[in-house]
Amino acid sequence: MFCEKAMELVRELHRAPEGQLPAFNEDGIRQVLEEMKALYEQNQSDVNEARSDGRSDLIPTIKFRHCSLLRNRRCTVAYLYDRLLRIRALRWEYGSVLPSALRFHMSAEEMEWFNQYKKSLATYMRSLGGAEGLDITQDMKPPKSLYIEVRCLKDYGEFEVDDGTSVLLKKNSQHFLPRWKCEQLIRQGVLEHVLS
Amino acid sequence: MTEELHLAGQDSDGESEEVVLTPAELIERLEQAWMNEKFAPELLESKPEIVECVMEQLDHMEENLKRAKKEDLKISIHRMEMERIRYVLSSYLRCRLMKIEKFFPHVLEKEKTRPEGEPSSLSPEEFAFAKEYMAHTETYLKNVALKHMPPNLQKVDLLRAVPKPDLDSYVFLRVKERQENILVEPEAEEQKDYVIDLEEGSQHLIRYRTIAPLVASGAVHLI
Amino acid sequence: MSEAYFRVESGALGPEENFLSLDDILMSHEKLPVRTETPMPRLGTFFPEWGAGAGPDRALPQGSKLELPLWLAKGLFDKKRRILSVELPKIYQQGWRTVFSADANVVDLHKMGPHFYGFGSQLLHFDSPENADISQSLLQTFIGRFRRIMDSSQNAYNEDTSALVARLDDMERGLFQTGQKGLNGFQCWEKGQASQITASSLVQNYKKRKFTDMED
Repeated sequence: MFCEKAMELVRELHRAPEGQLPAFNEDGIRQVLEEMKALYEQNQSDVNEARSDGRSDLIPTIKFRHCSLLRNRRCTVAYLYDRLLRIRALRWEYGSVLPSALRFHMSAEEMEWFNQYKKSLATYMRSLGGAEGLDITQDMKPPKSLYIEVRCLKDYGEFEVDDGTSVLLKKNSQHFLPRWKCEQLIRQGVLEHVLS
Repeated sequence: MTEELHLAGQDSDGESEEVVLTPAELIERLEQAWMNEKFAPELLESKPEIVECVMEQLDHMEENLKRAKKEDLKISIHRMEMERIRYVLSSYLRCRLMKIEKFFPHVLEKEKTRPEGEPSSLSPEEFAFAKEYMAHTETYLKNVALKHMPPNLQKVDLLRAVPKPDLDSYVFLRVKERQENILVEPEAEEQKDYVIDLEEGSQHLIRYRTIAPLVASGAVHLI
Repeated sequence: MSEAYFRVESGALGPEENFLSLDDILMSHEKLPVRTETPMPRLGTFFPEWGAGAGPDRALPQGSKLELPLWLAKGLFDKKRRILSVELPKIYQQGWRTVFSADANVVDLHKMGPHFYGFGSQLLHFDSPENADISQSLLQTFIGRFRRIMDSSQNAYNEDTSALVARLDDMERGLFQTGQKGLNGFQCWEKGQASQITASSLVQNYKKRKFTDMED
């Protein structure tokens, strides 16, 4: 039956837990495109035969292949589009620099889309007024207090807190820091917000 | 802080006028716009004047904080307030961007076919963002897949592929200004349409489509 | 769950599936019984039980009864039924409809589906004389089951919910999850955790995973 490979692509993505990005299945895409080429050529040939030899009985078969072509296209586009949505989420959840392990899962074109998205977003945020605009990828949770207790989950190094003052973020050290400064590091998994 | 802020607005005749707001009123307007945007299924009218004024307000507050003495207890309170406002503003703008990306072909089409005089759902910057998003996505799909497909299959109409916002989804609202004779259309063929009045202060669960214009005019607030 | 990832939802309960929805693509892969109303040349190889190699053109004979995926049946169907005619799968027929109307809650809709409502709604495209009854049955079945789904999703806090969702179809599971999300959000707020900044769930998930492909 046709479109098996296309279904495999869709299933593979659907299986990945919400939002996770599996490796880009370049081979899968290539195989679907090859199947489409073969289907199209068979149809071209049958269409010619139907015209020249009056074989209108070939029409259902031509339709059958055409449906398969449409299906292959749908699966491919949906696969690629859903991956873009997951990549978009990475900008919001990870920040603008992605860990290499994740980049490894993206195709070159996907990386380019990510970079273009990043740039558009940055331009938009800068335009929001004031000196540098507004970074709306911060402030993801409503603020309850100015300062929060954080525990360091991995060695990070010096971290500037106020004009001049800085703290050394060593694994397992705990600090009482301004909330707005810590948010990004918490989201990235460097610090942990400790509730008292 | 009791300075007044000047906000370009419209009076009940739709005429442009400058509305003078206190900072507290401005923040209330921001919070209202935020709630409406959060709960409305479609992208609402853009409020660049609110965004601009709030940003100015935040800058102003930052300036004041810099000038204040380090030990001044008021600093904490003002900083908290700033954080709160920044959170609401960021959340509001994030919500809008999310809808713009989710419905990008429809948002752009609506802007393209917008009748003159009707307010835009997109600020100029959001419009630029949306256009770029569309261009990048179209180019990507074309280069990676579509241009390698058979000739008659290379065009995918994103207006049809990307779903539209569901205006028939249900929303909760509180009535700010009494409304009479709101026509509620039936959902199923056997039902008839009927008319309701919305009393001030009352709360309802209703299909968004029915009350969309009332959200735009401020007669109801989504909750 | 990743808050910044908003996938294309299913449109199957509406008039048309969503082109980009992975759920809808999976749903429309499910099969239904059809009958060919005309021979289909050169396709016999896909259906060997119908005599591949029989006849000069390896045709799939007229009158063949087989199961095709919904997407294909939809594509080949027309009102005049020139290429194929469609039969209702058993669970949408009168017999099962009666069972549902007796007690909708006893049925394992995951086993019967798992896209019971979505698939059933899309079946309406095939112009069956039973369409009105089918849609009524879908609606009433859902109404009958909804109360229990809502109650259990609102009361199961921090427990293993696999038994509760085992017999739900895909759409119902989505509802259950939404209910759970609301419940967890509320509990979180009650405990004062709503403002706790957390590492993004994506970050946490990637940490837990082993990137075995990197070790090759």
